Amino acid sequence: MEIRRHLWWIAVLWAGFTLSQEGPFLQRLNEAIQDGGSAYARDLQQDADQALCSRYRDRLPPEAVEPFLQRQRSLIRYPAGGRLLGDWKQGEALFTNPRKGNCYACHTGDPKEKGAGRMGPGLVAYGQRGTSEAVVRFTYEKVYNAWAFQPCSLMYRAGVHGILSPEETAHIVAFLLDPASPVNANARR
Amino acid sequence: MSRLWRFVAAGLALLALGVGVFAQDQPEPSPAEEAKKQRQQLLEQGGGILPSDLYVAQGEELFKAVRGPKGVSLEGCDFGRGAGQVEGVVAQLPRYFPDTGRVEDLDSRIRSCMIGLQGFKPEEVKRSEVIAIAFYLASLSHEATVDVRLATPQEKRMYALGEELFWVRAGPRDMGCATCHVTYRGKRSGVLPLSDVVGEKVAAHWPAYRYSNDSALTMEDRIRTCYSNLGMPAPDYYSDAVIALGLWLAVQSNGAKMDLPGFIR
Ligand code: HEC
Repeated sequence: MEIRRHLWWIAVLWAGFTLSQEGPFLQRLNEAIQDGGSAYARDLQQDADQALCSRYRDRLPPEAVEPFLQRQRSLIRYPAGGRLLGDWKQGEALFTNPRKGNCYACHTGDPKEKGAGRMGPGLVAYGQRGTSEAVVRFTYEKVYNAWAFQPCSLMYRAGVHGILSPEETAHIVAFLLDPASPVNANARR
Repeated sequence: MSRLWRFVAAGLALLALGVGVFAQDQPEPSPAEEAKKQRQQLLEQGGGILPSDLYVAQGEELFKAVRGPKGVSLEGCDFGRGAGQVEGVVAQLPRYFPDTGRVEDLDSRIRSCMIGLQGFKPEEVKRSEVIAIAFYLASLSHEATVDVRLATPQEKRMYALGEELFWVRAGPRDMGCATCHVTYRGKRSGVLPLSDVVGEKVAAHWPAYRYSNDSALTMEDRIRTCYSNLGMPAPDYYSDAVIALGLWLAVQSNGAKMDLPGFIR
């Protein structure tokens, strides 16, 4: 919630900044967005880094990359107690649920899932990487905030936007890494 | 006549559902082949009539009927080539209309005439009627060449807005049209491939009949569906936001021969 309020202020400041910079066009854009209805307008409020991705059409200039990654890293939150590996069964439900992770829209996972998308890299047998501290940490942070590793990735920042809580993110990490999870168990057969 | 059409429509709708369910058990061919096959099947089962033909027939009836508080038909509506001219108009929309002072697409123009010409109140304009009338007009633009010009400052402004909206990343899923339809075009989202909406000149086959769920959609419906698929609120019908995106897409489709009403999964 606090992050949200934070983002909101960034958005307001950013809007003010860009408006004063480029004037009439952005004003018209804003009018068109308002005209699209209040829910639409609310969702099209951008934070500063969404605005950067839009402006540079998903390809940031090199000098903008490092500050972008740093800002995104600073948005990552961790579960109380610091356990980044949760319960894979709960993770499976979250991974599948279109209103939560919705990961199958873009990734394979359990090889038995037929409707999996192919926009992201396949995640079948992801657990082959082991469960070292580095692997667990990377997986957690990637799922929580994909943009902390790849600016403007198609993969959305589920944790940053509150779609997945830190605990839920840890469950998904377990779904990917636990040898008993179908992602890994079904891949061996 | 109209009652007969309705009866046939209901029968075909049921058939379409049956075909849809049946199709799911087969291995997936390419979407284009699949659509061709489905179209052939529906044609055979309908005795040469497609479900989209029924929307066209219903739209023609609505278009020619004397209706509304002012008791006139829509035959006097100006779709950009002058009042009463209906051939090929869909290929040249959206465009600027001085009488409403707006850039309008097909949906919006139908609605404007229902309000301005026939005297309906805005809240009386039924979406289902706008769609049927859009299908009728589409059938009169089949094989016309998409030719949407940016002749007025208003059109140029809307085009710039559409382009901007197309590239916006926003919302809780960090989504934007271009990220999928340009950067990731051709990749599969779930079972469906993402179309390359710039290169494939997609506006040439809208409005379209969607056989997978037996529905009739215009470009506005389709754009709004994209937003919903991303878990984002869609822009309102007839809003500048949805018209601007439609205008931008239509211009990317210039030069394509229209295939109307479209027939898609
Ligand atoms: C809209 C599409 C999309 C969705 C939804 C999505 N991802 Fe991704 N994901 C990608 C893309 C594209 C990449 C590769 C680019 C990148 O690293 O950001 C990726 C990369 C990854 C990686 C890194 C893979 C590697 O080999 O390093 C992991 C792990 C991952 N996604 C997990 C998930 C999980 C878990 C979910 C659900 C919470 C999810 N993704 C949802 C598109 C998506």
